[in-house]
Amino acid sequence: MTPLPSEPTGTLAETVDSVPSRLKMAVHGFRQAPIAFRFGGILVIAFIAVAFTSIWWTPHDPIAIAVEKRLAPPGWPHLLGTDALGRDVLSQLMEGARNSLLIGGLATIAAMVPGVAVGLLAASAARNKRLLLSRAADVGVALPGILIALVLATAIGPSNLTSVLAIIAWFTPVVVRLTIGPARQVLALPFVEAARAYGRGRSFIALRHVLPNIGPLLIVQASAMFAAAILIEAALSYLGVGAPRPTPSWGRMLNESQSLIEIAPTLVAFPGLAIMGAVLGFNLLGDGLRVLLDPRQEAHTVAV
Amino acid sequence: MLRTLGGDVATVILGQNATPEALSALRESLGLDRPWTTQYLDWVSGLFRGDLGTSYSARFDIFEQIQSRLTVTLALVMGAVLVSSVLAYLAGTYAALHVRDRRGSLIDVIAQIGLSVPTFLSGLLLIGFGAIRLGWFPAGGYVSWTVDPAASFRSLVLPVLALATPVTAVLTRYVRSAMLDVINEDYIRTAMSKGRTRSASLVIHGTRNASITLVTVITLQIGALLTGAVVIENVFTLPGLGSMLVTAVQGREAIVVQSVAFVVLLLILGLNFAMDLAYGVLDPRIRTAGVDRS
Repeated sequence: MTPLPSEPTGTLAETVDSVPSRLKMAVHGFRQAPIAFRFGGILVIAFIAVAFTSIWWTPHDPIAIAVEKRLAPPGWPHLLGTDALGRDVLSQLMEGARNSLLIGGLATIAAMVPGVAVGLLAASAARNKRLLLSRAADVGVALPGILIALVLATAIGPSNLTSVLAIIAWFTPVVVRLTIGPARQVLALPFVEAARAYGRGRSFIALRHVLPNIGPLLIVQASAMFAAAILIEAALSYLGVGAPRPTPSWGRMLNESQSLIEIAPTLVAFPGLAIMGAVLGFNLLGDGLRVLLDPRQEAHTVAV
Repeated sequence: MLRTLGGDVATVILGQNATPEALSALRESLGLDRPWTTQYLDWVSGLFRGDLGTSYSARFDIFEQIQSRLTVTLALVMGAVLVSSVLAYLAGTYAALHVRDRRGSLIDVIAQIGLSVPTFLSGLLLIGFGAIRLGWFPAGGYVSWTVDPAASFRSLVLPVLALATPVTAVLTRYVRSAMLDVINEDYIRTAMSKGRTRSASLVIHGTRNASITLVTVITLQIGALLTGAVVIENVFTLPGLGSMLVTAVQGREAIVVQSVAFVVLLLILGLNFAMDLAYGVLDPRIRTAGVDRS
């Protein structure tokens, strides 16, 4: 590990030159971080890299059926073997990563934006309106998300859209509830009072003063939710409510190989490990961020 | 609400190649040709009479079916709550006692992994190990309590363990921090000065504090538990509400889906109420404070 230059040496120009680049700073910060956070970060980066690689390249065609090569054990040319229809497991896992990333990312962002907006609105609203909104959020949090997902699937049929909509409906009330509390804490601070005395409106204060102050906390939540979203997507596609065939998805790979657990245990192990790794990565990343940014906050966790 | 878009039951029953005449005849005999408002009002008025109607394709009475399946789901959820609170209490206390050394961090790592394993994966692993490798427990199915209590218990062991895994992980972290809150209190020091060991005084005085946290977090996890139950019932082919729900979704049986959804909502209300009562038992301050306890 190269130590950061701490004392200015030589002339002024040399000092300016020796100021570390942003990249170097980032690498240095990463090396100083707790080991769990680093491990999580590596898992997440690997997950994203695999997902993007699968857009341009996979070792084989993930949906090409070759019955004569079915249930091949891990080896060459199929590194992780083939499934019951002779499809390449590694290629399917790579495309599955893309599916998870897409749905998890879309759903998390689409739940965070309205959730934070409503939460900020509720926090800065008058008492009655605030209580009404937070009670509504409480009811939303109490509903089991799977119920929303299954009812949606009956209404519009199983698809990726169903998964995304279900996760949005599941998470938005959680985000609302997690925003209201901290936002109200910030609103009680003296500098907000000063802004109010200066004549700033509610929405200005919410966006310019409250949002930046609860930002770190929201980033931590987003990471935890990403992890939960990947789990939920896998659970939904396991139940046959998520992405329809032949789109590769980790949950359905598990479902299809469930009955083969005795003959080909690797078919269960690889998608299982993939889900675990991705979820663990985002969980650790969120936990590490929480420790770094806001040690007192307990992350909201969703068990699936 | 959901039947407005509800897919077509008749097509599911008769298949893609059915003639339009056959489809409309079936719809007429099932009462599906009526406007959806009439159908919905029919269902709502049935709610008050304990009559939720009959499934379209399997022709079972929905109310009776829900009654018999409810016991399975309740046994599963209650079992998981019991197992995970006991395990989390032990693991959380252990982690709090060893907060500064390797043993405490080991619990953290295990909890973190437990959080990341989806229930259907832990279910499959348990099947692979406990059912296939060791052969101690059945890999799926359910035996009724009245038929054979021992077999019934055995058929629930693996599903309960699978469902309890993530909940235990969540609860352990809360028990740990509840115990850590207590560990620096004056009364722990007093207990230690009277000759108790550190762990004994923490167990004696910290348990009540931790149990209140446990109840709170379990209440928050009820939704997650029911979600897990739906998945687990499908992994282990248990005849509970969850597998009924998934089958109904695949068959586009809107009336079954909304009936089960209704019962599940009632279940959540009931469980929340039970948890509120548990608070009163655990924390005397809540009991005496009466209505106002916010």
